[in-house]
Amino acid sequence: MTDELVRRAQAGDQTAFRDLYHQLAGRVYALCLRLTGDAGAAEERTQDVFVRAWDKLRSFRGESAFTSWLHRLAVNVVMNEQRTRFRREQRVTPVADPDTVVGAQHAAPLHGSAGLSIDLERAIAALPEGAREVFVLYDIEGYSHAEIGEMTGIAEGTSKAQLFRARHLLREKLDR
Amino acid sequence: MNERELLEAAGRLPKSIEPPRDLWPGIEARLGRGRSRRWYWVALAAAAVIALVVVNTKSDGWKVTWLAGAGPGTVRVGQWIETDASSRALIAVGHIGQVEVRPRTRIQLVALRADNHRLALAHGAIEAKVDTVPRIFFVETPVGTAVDLGCAYTLEMDSLGNGLLHVTAGEVAFQSRDYEARVPMGAIVLTHAGAGPGIPYVEDAPETLRRALDSLDVKRVLAVARPDDAISLWHLLRRVDQAQRGAVYDRLASLVPPPAGVSRAAALALDSAALDAYWTHIHRILFRKVILRGVRDIDPRTGTRVR
Repeated sequence: MTDELVRRAQAGDQTAFRDLYHQLAGRVYALCLRLTGDAGAAEERTQDVFVRAWDKLRSFRGESAFTSWLHRLAVNVVMNEQRTRFRREQRVTPVADPDTVVGAQHAAPLHGSAGLSIDLERAIAALPEGAREVFVLYDIEGYSHAEIGEMTGIAEGTSKAQLFRARHLLREKLDR
Repeated sequence: MNERELLEAAGRLPKSIEPPRDLWPGIEARLGRGRSRRWYWVALAAAAVIALVVVNTKSDGWKVTWLAGAGPGTVRVGQWIETDASSRALIAVGHIGQVEVRPRTRIQLVALRADNHRLALAHGAIEAKVDTVPRIFFVETPVGTAVDLGCAYTLEMDSLGNGLLHVTAGEVAFQSRDYEARVPMGAIVLTHAGAGPGIPYVEDAPETLRRALDSLDVKRVLAVARPDDAISLWHLLRRVDQAQRGAVYDRLASLVPPPAGVSRAAALALDSAALDAYWTHIHRILFRKVILRGVRDIDPRTGTRVR
């Protein structure tokens, strides 16, 4: 189904691309939300990802699954924007209110493992930017340190150090 | 929590989270603008020539005037306007109106077509004044869309969708996936994260009624509602189940008798023609009451002058 939609979208069919968006928006948004720690920025990046995907569709040759290709593109779009923003501002942007990371569907109080997930989402959002990116990419998305280094422009050793730092900070926050 | 528990918890996080609003309109508006094609440079050159000949006849963005602070002078489709604690901006909505962007607000231009002037409010507050035919100016929010029916209004919202819509002229329909709230001049509706719009009420509705509406305490609403609160009871008809609908209708009909042609059976069956006729009647009474406030006393049951 996805393959057929991709083939049609590559031929310029926007309706097929819209269907792809509806199939995959949740996965892209979740990734952008966790990488940016900000709901507004995540919406913006999700839109950027799909616009970029449309522009680059012809370069997708089916060597990997389309979802993997889109995922990798999403990470690149978010990382490019973070780097551009950093260069533009040359200062650390305060992390948005972590409560804005959890979506409306999580507004009600949750208990048990669901409650832990919400706490974890909030704790991830409150991590320093570098540590958050590595934790999301390594522990949630399953990329290797080498891949993270390639995507974010940091050394493998730095990625490992950031992961250690992120896990340490998260355990501290969740134990409080 | 040890490391293993942390990693297990991370592994249980959902891989997919639906965006709080449909992002497709903003994406669709941008598709193709950056796509490489062989005729790209030819088209660009032609566009430049046309632009030299036809100046200012068509805009691809809306002018932004900064009332306090500074920022971009134009907002184009896909772009955001963001104000901090001390800045405010005025967006010219084509030729049909304007939107004041208050401090601490983030808003995006989503679509710019003759029949679709669309913004998306991520969070913050705006004041919109639009003078055009209904249903061509829209503001998307995390919990629904404010559809202009020819009006002026203030919309405040946090990033989860908790907020307030206050209509000061005309009428606005606030649509979520499950409900539509019609908010006429002089009325307010609260919105809640994950739940969309609540039940609208008039500006001077008593606190007891507002609380009862917020908690959907139907018995309490019926006990404290006044003729002026007919818009709230009208909305309640659609929100309650069949067992309660009769009591709501009877209370509404006792406060503001229905116009000719609207039967109890049709209203209880949620017949759209009957409900629309009733709404028009209630809306007209409220309009007269608000517009003639301080000039004439209007009977809130009938909309006629009190002698």
